[in-house]
Amino acid sequence: MIHLTNVTKTFDRFQAIRGVSMTVQKGRIYGLLGSNGAGKTTLLKMMAGIIRPDHGTVLIDGEEVWENPKIKRRIMFLPDHVYFFPQTTIEQMAAFYESIYPSFHRERFTRLQEIFLLDPRKKIHQFSKGMQRQAAFWLAFSTMPDVLVMDEPLDGLDAVVRQKVKNIIVQEVAEREMTVVISSHNLREMEDLCDCIGILHEGEMLFEKELDAMKTDIHKIQVAFRNGIPKQFAEQLNIVYKEQRGSVLLLIVRGEKQEIVSYIKPFQPLIFDILPLTLEEIFIYEMGDVGYAIENIIV
Amino acid sequence: MPSKILSFNRGLFVQNLRSVGWIGIVHFLLWFAAIPLQLLMAYSQQKDGGIYPEWESLYSISAPFQSMIVFTLPVLLAAFLFRYMQGKPSSDFMHSLPVQRAELFCQQVVFGVMLIVIPIVLISLLTVVCRYGLSLSVPLTISDIIRWMWETAIMELFVFAAGVFVGMMTGMSTLQVVFTYILFLFPAGITILLLANTSFLLIGFPAGYYLSKNLETIVPFFRYLNLEAEPLAAGESLIYLLFIMLFLIFAIWLYQKRHSEAATQALAFPVLRPIFKYGVAFCTMLVGGFYFGVTQNQFSWIVFGYVTFSFIGFFIAEMIIEKTWRVFHKWKGYTYFAAAMVVIGILVHLDITGYEKRLPVLEDIRQVYFGSSVYDFVENGERSYVPFEQENQFLKEKENIRAVYAFHQQLVKDQPRSFPSEAQRQVVIGYVFKNGKRMIRQYGVPSEPYFSYYQPILESKEYKKNYYLLLRDQGYSPIRQVAFRHPETSEKTLTIIEPQQIDSFIEALKADLMEEPASAMLDSSKVWQGDIELLQSDGDTILLAWKETYTHVEKWLKDHHLLTKARGNAE
Repeated sequence: MIHLTNVTKTFDRFQAIRGVSMTVQKGRIYGLLGSNGAGKTTLLKMMAGIIRPDHGTVLIDGEEVWENPKIKRRIMFLPDHVYFFPQTTIEQMAAFYESIYPSFHRERFTRLQEIFLLDPRKKIHQFSKGMQRQAAFWLAFSTMPDVLVMDEPLDGLDAVVRQKVKNIIVQEVAEREMTVVISSHNLREMEDLCDCIGILHEGEMLFEKELDAMKTDIHKIQVAFRNGIPKQFAEQLNIVYKEQRGSVLLLIVRGEKQEIVSYIKPFQPLIFDILPLTLEEIFIYEMGDVGYAIENIIV
Repeated sequence: MPSKILSFNRGLFVQNLRSVGWIGIVHFLLWFAAIPLQLLMAYSQQKDGGIYPEWESLYSISAPFQSMIVFTLPVLLAAFLFRYMQGKPSSDFMHSLPVQRAELFCQQVVFGVMLIVIPIVLISLLTVVCRYGLSLSVPLTISDIIRWMWETAIMELFVFAAGVFVGMMTGMSTLQVVFTYILFLFPAGITILLLANTSFLLIGFPAGYYLSKNLETIVPFFRYLNLEAEPLAAGESLIYLLFIMLFLIFAIWLYQKRHSEAATQALAFPVLRPIFKYGVAFCTMLVGGFYFGVTQNQFSWIVFGYVTFSFIGFFIAEMIIEKTWRVFHKWKGYTYFAAAMVVIGILVHLDITGYEKRLPVLEDIRQVYFGSSVYDFVENGERSYVPFEQENQFLKEKENIRAVYAFHQQLVKDQPRSFPSEAQRQVVIGYVFKNGKRMIRQYGVPSEPYFSYYQPILESKEYKKNYYLLLRDQGYSPIRQVAFRHPETSEKTLTIIEPQQIDSFIEALKADLMEEPASAMLDSSKVWQGDIELLQSDGDTILLAWKETYTHVEKWLKDHHLLTKARGNAE
């Protein structure tokens, strides 16, 4: 669905994005994680056709997004600071969206009012920041986009609204296979929402994985042997981390669970536990050296 | 897909109407106050039998107010219509919409054109209604009103298009407005500055000659003020239309190249930054040189002006780009600039083209031009009036050509630095060559040391005969009356009306003029003892100074016992 190939972008002399490639499958929720200034917003704006990359391509359904109304009609972009025309009401904005986006759905707009509980005839600028963001969600969902690109969308929303919005997103994805790209600097918030996670650090994509695969792909193993650790034991394992506590060996190992079990069993360990990792642990081990740099997103 | 580009988007239109529609209303109201309201006021005056204003065209109704509308409103309109590009959130929002930039641009421009044209057309209609409906007795015709409508629309669209074009290059609305005005003044301003500064650096360079009078037609503001006297010619209209098209085409081209992140930046394209920085430094340098050149007339002051002004200009430009005043650590760029300017200065000083030393070959000269002003050297230039004394002349006689050439040779040898100063006389020497080419030089020199060069030219018959209107063959109509006026009170002291007396007097005067020495021609103030006024049969008068050197006149007066009377002394 969304396909970025070797994308770069430089602002003045500052290279914000350095050769990023990423793919988002249709009907997935992609979480783009990164600390402040990692380049998340820039990348999202490229997907929305606002910023043109210096090099590389940003394709949606095989077509370049930049200056392509056909594709852009199917994308909704929610910036971190939502924008409305000065002195307008939600009603007026809805009329504007209706004239711009053919997919705008009047009925849905009316129905969503029950969820957002805002007065559509009130000037948006009189709303609080959180309410303005809700208004933006309301309008975005009413246009029924195929692709929803959101920059730190849940910031400044209270827990109830946050849940409401998440529910709508999940529902839309399930019902119409909407594709979602969400940026955040908070891993926890993304954990229960995203199918796929990409970590951006200083303009580079450090890491891109499906969450389910990630969880089944890495394991914590505790083993102990009667006569010490066999010499060839570690050779065939893809060990990410290794620690020995007395006679107990603690390993973080990559690979299929079944394969690991069937590999270790023949060594006849005295103790053998295979445990799942928390997402945080996965990140810390996966990221290895650069892990320290992104610690702040794993709080 | 031109059809796509021109497609009308209702949502954007409504939004424009909401956010900038008021400018259209203001535009209408301003013009209403400027013209129809004035007509209504005149109407009520007329009814009460009051004095009636004499309006010869729509421009004369309220010219200053009209020019204010023409040069502010379209600029504001351009700034407001493209305001969305100059703010980050709005720029992101508008550019995330599924609308191509070309389409968005056209939508905005068409809307702007509407806000300009519709009020002007409405006002024209209202004016027609007022003029004919109220049967006002002003000499305004339908064609005057149509001309006004056409010219005003063209001018406003021109200003608007320029504003839009400039807006593409900056990311700040205030700078958009400022740069638009600078753009209007730039062509004329840079021409004046370059010419003036060249004349400071190159001895003999006649800046005034190249500063032609049509310079003011390239300043749209002056052109507009002159519309009352001189309507837009068809060719001129075409040029303005062409500029409108070019501005808009370049604007659309720039818009498509422009990054959306250019919002809030002083200059939208990074390539513009060095151009702007060094351009501003260069222009302010010229301003500095110009200022000190005009006020101080000294080379060291001019250099001082170059250095200080370019320094200030460079860092101001840097401040505008960086949007902070803490830019002085970026002095390196200034050193490059200064080095480049020093090189150019040295090249000019060394006169690599040989401009200052150039002398023509004597045999190639068909005629010479000699005088104190460059303006009469113009090709096919028609003089609007005939002066009593014509200092600037084309001379064809061999001896005069040689004399002028000798003067020029001496000046080339002396290289007198020319500065406008009262103690100096301007010497302008021009050549028309046998192959039709021309050459002109201007020097400022004190007249005394060069008197020996002046003398043969000024006292030559050819020069003299053209110098005084009275000496020119068929230069004047028959003289009906001669009057003397007192030097201080300007009162008539003596009047001669007897035709025979007049004839003999004129003969005496002509003889004096022919014999007048060059020293008196160069400085007439010391030897002046009154005015001689010659009334021609066609009603025009010729005024001459009565100089002490005029012995024939004095003798004539003595012979007729009129000398004391003419001098204004009581008998």
